[in-house]
Amino acid sequence: MAGILVVAEHFDGVLRDVTLEMIGAAAEIKDGLGGPLAVLVIGQDVDALASAANLEGVDEIVTVAQADAHFDPALYEEAVCAVAEARQVRLVLIGHTAAGMAFGPAVAARLGSGFASDVFGLTLDGAEPIATRSGYGGKVSMDLAFPDKPVIVLTLRGATFKAPEEAGSASIASFTVELDAVPGAGTHIDYLPAPPADVDIGKAEFILSVGRALGEDTNLPQFSALAERLGATLGCSRPVADSGWLPKAHQVGQSGTIAGNCSLYLALGISGAVQHLAGMKHVDTIIAVNTDPEAPIFNVAHHGACVDIFELAEALEREFN
Amino acid sequence: METRELFWEISSLGHTLFFVVAGAAMAVAFAGVVWHVYRYARARRSPVPVHPWRGFWRMVFDVFSQRTVHRRDRSAGHAHTPILYGFLLLLAATSIITVEYDISEPFFGFTFWHGDFYLAFSLIADLAGLGLIVGVVYMMWRRWQVRPAKLAYRREYRGETETRPRARAWEWDDTLFLWALLLIGVTGFLQEAVRLAMDQPPWGPWSPVGWVLAQIFLGLGMDEAAAAAIRRANWWIHGIAALAFIAGIPWTKAKHILAVLGSLSTRDALALRRLPKPAPARAAAADDTEPEPEVGFGSIAQFSWKDLLNLDACTKCGRCHEACPATASGAPLSPRDLILDLRAHAAQSAFRPGANGAALIGDVIEAETLWSCRSCGACMEICPVGIEHPPMIVQMRRQLVEDGAMEQQLRDTLDMIANRGNSFGESPRSRGGWTSALEFPVKDVRAEPAENLWFVGDYASYDPRNQDVSRTVARLFRAAGLDFGLLYESERTAGNDVRRVGEEGLFESLAEHNLEAMGAAKQFDAIVTTDPHSYNTIRNEYPDFGEVAPIRHYTSVLAELLESGRLTVVKPLGRRVTLHDPCHLGRFNGHYDEPRRVLELIGCELVDMPRCRDNSFCCGAGGGRIWIPDPVGKERPAENRMHEAASLGNLDAFVVCCPKDMTMFEDARKTSGHEGDFVVQDLAELVAEAIDLKSIDLKEVPALVDRITEAAATRIADTVADRLAERLAETVTERVLSELADRAPTLTAAAAASQPASAPKPEQQAEAAPASGPWRAAPVTAATLPPYEVPAKEGPRLLVAVKRVGELNPDFAIDEAGGTIADEHFEYELNEWDEAALEEALLLTERLEAGEVVAVTIGPDDAEETLRRALAKGAHRGVRVWDESLRDADPVTLARVLAGVAAQETPDIVLTGAQSADLGHGATGSALARILGLPHAAVVLGIEWDGADAMTVTRELEGGMRQQLTLPAPALLTVQTGGSTPRYATMRMIKQARKKPIAVVDGAGVGLEQAGAVVRRLYEPPKSGRAAMIEGDAEAVAKAIADIIRDKRGEV
Repeated sequence: MAGILVVAEHFDGVLRDVTLEMIGAAAEIKDGLGGPLAVLVIGQDVDALASAANLEGVDEIVTVAQADAHFDPALYEEAVCAVAEARQVRLVLIGHTAAGMAFGPAVAARLGSGFASDVFGLTLDGAEPIATRSGYGGKVSMDLAFPDKPVIVLTLRGATFKAPEEAGSASIASFTVELDAVPGAGTHIDYLPAPPADVDIGKAEFILSVGRALGEDTNLPQFSALAERLGATLGCSRPVADSGWLPKAHQVGQSGTIAGNCSLYLALGISGAVQHLAGMKHVDTIIAVNTDPEAPIFNVAHHGACVDIFELAEALEREFN
Repeated sequence: METRELFWEISSLGHTLFFVVAGAAMAVAFAGVVWHVYRYARARRSPVPVHPWRGFWRMVFDVFSQRTVHRRDRSAGHAHTPILYGFLLLLAATSIITVEYDISEPFFGFTFWHGDFYLAFSLIADLAGLGLIVGVVYMMWRRWQVRPAKLAYRREYRGETETRPRARAWEWDDTLFLWALLLIGVTGFLQEAVRLAMDQPPWGPWSPVGWVLAQIFLGLGMDEAAAAAIRRANWWIHGIAALAFIAGIPWTKAKHILAVLGSLSTRDALALRRLPKPAPARAAAADDTEPEPEVGFGSIAQFSWKDLLNLDACTKCGRCHEACPATASGAPLSPRDLILDLRAHAAQSAFRPGANGAALIGDVIEAETLWSCRSCGACMEICPVGIEHPPMIVQMRRQLVEDGAMEQQLRDTLDMIANRGNSFGESPRSRGGWTSALEFPVKDVRAEPAENLWFVGDYASYDPRNQDVSRTVARLFRAAGLDFGLLYESERTAGNDVRRVGEEGLFESLAEHNLEAMGAAKQFDAIVTTDPHSYNTIRNEYPDFGEVAPIRHYTSVLAELLESGRLTVVKPLGRRVTLHDPCHLGRFNGHYDEPRRVLELIGCELVDMPRCRDNSFCCGAGGGRIWIPDPVGKERPAENRMHEAASLGNLDAFVVCCPKDMTMFEDARKTSGHEGDFVVQDLAELVAEAIDLKSIDLKEVPALVDRITEAAATRIADTVADRLAERLAETVTERVLSELADRAPTLTAAAAASQPASAPKPEQQAEAAPASGPWRAAPVTAATLPPYEVPAKEGPRLLVAVKRVGELNPDFAIDEAGGTIADEHFEYELNEWDEAALEEALLLTERLEAGEVVAVTIGPDDAEETLRRALAKGAHRGVRVWDESLRDADPVTLARVLAGVAAQETPDIVLTGAQSADLGHGATGSALARILGLPHAAVVLGIEWDGADAMTVTRELEGGMRQQLTLPAPALLTVQTGGSTPRYATMRMIKQARKKPIAVVDGAGVGLEQAGAVVRRLYEPPKSGRAAMIEGDAEAVAKAIADIIRDKRGEV
């Protein structure tokens, strides 16, 4: 009864980043928790994936062969439960993703394990895992413990933990789970590409937004170029969209789109009308630049500066060149 | 004797023929009148009280003075007046002849149409005819040469490049009407001229026009034979033209001659400023169910007789078309065309009921037309025949709202108002937050009486720019010694615009709530507000729902305070300003002068814009338009207004006295490029400058009194407390010590017993690790719930789990010791992912045309509101499970409870939201699927199922990619938002949903067996308050920002 099992997630023959990050999180606590760190790879062509998962800290890679390459929660649940039981693992880590959400809670219910989802902090109290997650739009954090639970299933938030950089020296072992007749399995039909959309403010993680300090639409290219250079999605406030300078899809705020997944928001020349703030005030890190030191945007921003946005844009451009 | 011969050289056959034709014409006209009256009689009752006799005298005045026709189009008014009077006098003249010829002479042998009477008659009739012709000729010249835009029927705002066939018919109608009048007038004079030329009576000049014409004819050498020939033929032309006109009155443009008498007499003095409640139910339904009141106008059959009369009165004059801010900004609405389309549809439907098959909303009037209205009242205010357009628009909007046919942003706003009581989606608790920056406390009318209750309204409470104005107004009141207090979080949106959007049920509940809050408050004498919208509805609409104190707008209050000297101007401003009359203050309620008086008193030079006072041009925010995005690229009404103001030149300020105006114009000033031309300021801000508010210490006077009393009280209290404490300490210690000595053993035992043996402290747990016992898999099972009544299945059953989710108020506090957050810190609403799941369920049953949707929730009594919302949207039944032990249950425990319900319901599909907005576990659905042993898919965007053994499901993957797969049925799906737009439940539907059954099931301590995790600590994540300012020039700031970006990306 020991060790950590990280369930690898992959798509199109490539491990998803969250898998590597989970390995990093697991490696951090593995000594304190005790037992080996195993990575479970379920798939059709598992060898390449297994070697990609062979990172620093991994002791063992367990592979389970699947007839096709498509994710199915029923098969994953079956395989994870079988391996977890065979190894009597203490901790199962699954990505908090569309796939992880489909089978993670089911694994927890089937094992009767301790469970927490969307975990962004994983520590130990003695040898007991403590998971940190948040609620209410990030306004509240909570540390969770799992007393009396011999096994704990956690789904971890992506882009949060640090993936190991070095390669590992894990052993690779295949494990047989009968996946041909799992009740409740679905049949894959097809993948549909993402519908064409210019921008998706709701999903963007880094947004550079411009406000009416822009002045004229001819000034826009400077900022769209800057956004591209910074890898940011270009957003705007209501007057900019209302003027037709940018399509409505770029507008952040109550009447536009809520920046629901944004963690870094750079507001240039936005004073901070309440409708706008409603769309972005929850963001983890907000940087606001406005010539008016009394602009309401500074009440929600974490970092602020009172400089001309055009000069700043030029300076930033140089900074990132 | 002075008179003239009638029926000159008309044979007895001709005589008879004439009377037959005349009789037929009268009959056609009469039939038309009867037909219209019949239509009105069959139509619905007027939803607003009609006082026709009270309105009658005003109508008489308006018609004879031609007041309404002269407004904003003087030349058309000057032309219409002689046409009207000419027509009336000639009608009277013909009647006089008829009275003598057909009644008094044959029956009584009495004649009067001769001598002096005849001479006066001739003169007046001639002048009337001349006036008529001059007026008509001017109208022809205006219509076909001047061609004012408001008379054009081509709908350029709709992108029309050709005039539609129906509009060509309207052009014919106008043409025929003018030519008919001209023909009657001209042939009349011709007849008179040839008669005078032949008879040459000495009193000829008493018919001056005819006499001059006769002289011209004679001068041109007209002989008697030619004159006689013209006289014979023209008599018939003139007569038949006049009779044809009469026959056409109820059927052509001339209809307005009659309809206007009705429409002006039945004008609603409170139209638009007080909208009608929905009409009561027409009749009981066939079964025993209680008849439901009609929601709005979804078909022409629901229009009242008053509305139909309004439609018939339209003369297509285009004044509304010209005044409408929607038309002016290129929106797909012209009030004139709306009325004309409705009229054509009403007439068609009356001839062939239901035969044309056109839907009122969609085919006849498009939804976007109805949503374009700002309900500013400009159309109605200028209409010379008293048509009330906006109430009809609102009635049709009510139908749209009922059908959920509205823009997403509007739906979201209405939901926010329903859930939080304000349109900003802000916490109700922060409604009074703007007062905290004041130097003095503002009374809470719920706790202490005040002379004035200040009803603040949403924009003045929550919008930062308007909060500044609110504080200024508060300081002005304070400086003037005006006693006021607020309702704080007990105030909700007044509902003026909610009602004008068409969400009547929500308006009613807002009005009832606010009236209740006012009723529960301590004594106050009057209400004040800065918001004209709140002012209007509280003044004119709230009385329909309960007793309400008199209300005043702050412009009236400021005028009075300045005039009475309670506020003293020390620095007359001497600025050149213009004033925007808010629709709801001016046009709706007639307060044009109060703000102007204030401007005068503070020494401003007021330059009115061309469109001012009753012709004020709406900012574009009214009628709920502030919640609906304006189309990109088109000029918005507020921008149009900014250009108008800028054209005045050298303006210092554009003065507003409405919070929504401040927001709209502050935006528009910048987007329309007038940022450097003038500033937008609230009237109160100017007053503050003029009285030098800054120099007045607002704390001083009252605070001094407070301080003295407070200091005295503290000193007394301290002395008393010290003494008391000493005495108490002495006596109590003695007693307790002696008692303790007696009881010591018992107390220790009790203390030991109160220590829960089963719950070790967290620290102990950590030490005891691994206390988790041997490795074991213990599959979670469904909770056993007490059985409740489940109806037999008829078709597929879809079980949808819905949750009310709490959003934390900004000022929440965590009880860290208890690891909880008190309920009062939350605002609750239906989880939007569950709303999406419910929508999928409803769509499935609609496509199957069978099945039952059961909504299940876990929550206390209050959560029933959430369940009712699901029922209002269409779920058939509700189940609510609760037990105190479930309050902070983890997702696996919740899944156990839901499984307990599913065990009794045996559903064919279970749907849950992919996650909840509060804790965002994203786990309950998949855990539930496992407990129930159901096939499942997560993050689903679409479901196709024909009720058979398999379904096709589309899941959303990362980055917007989707996967399609088939799943065996029954199955469980967790639904992602964005697949289908959830339907809207109006407040009326939510109230109606009370009739649907909800089973309440006892959770029976399920939550005591904690299944997943224990909260060890609950805390606020570390965060910075106000922004840490980065100093330095652009270069330095760029470096600092670059560091933050790199750090955030994990690049450092």
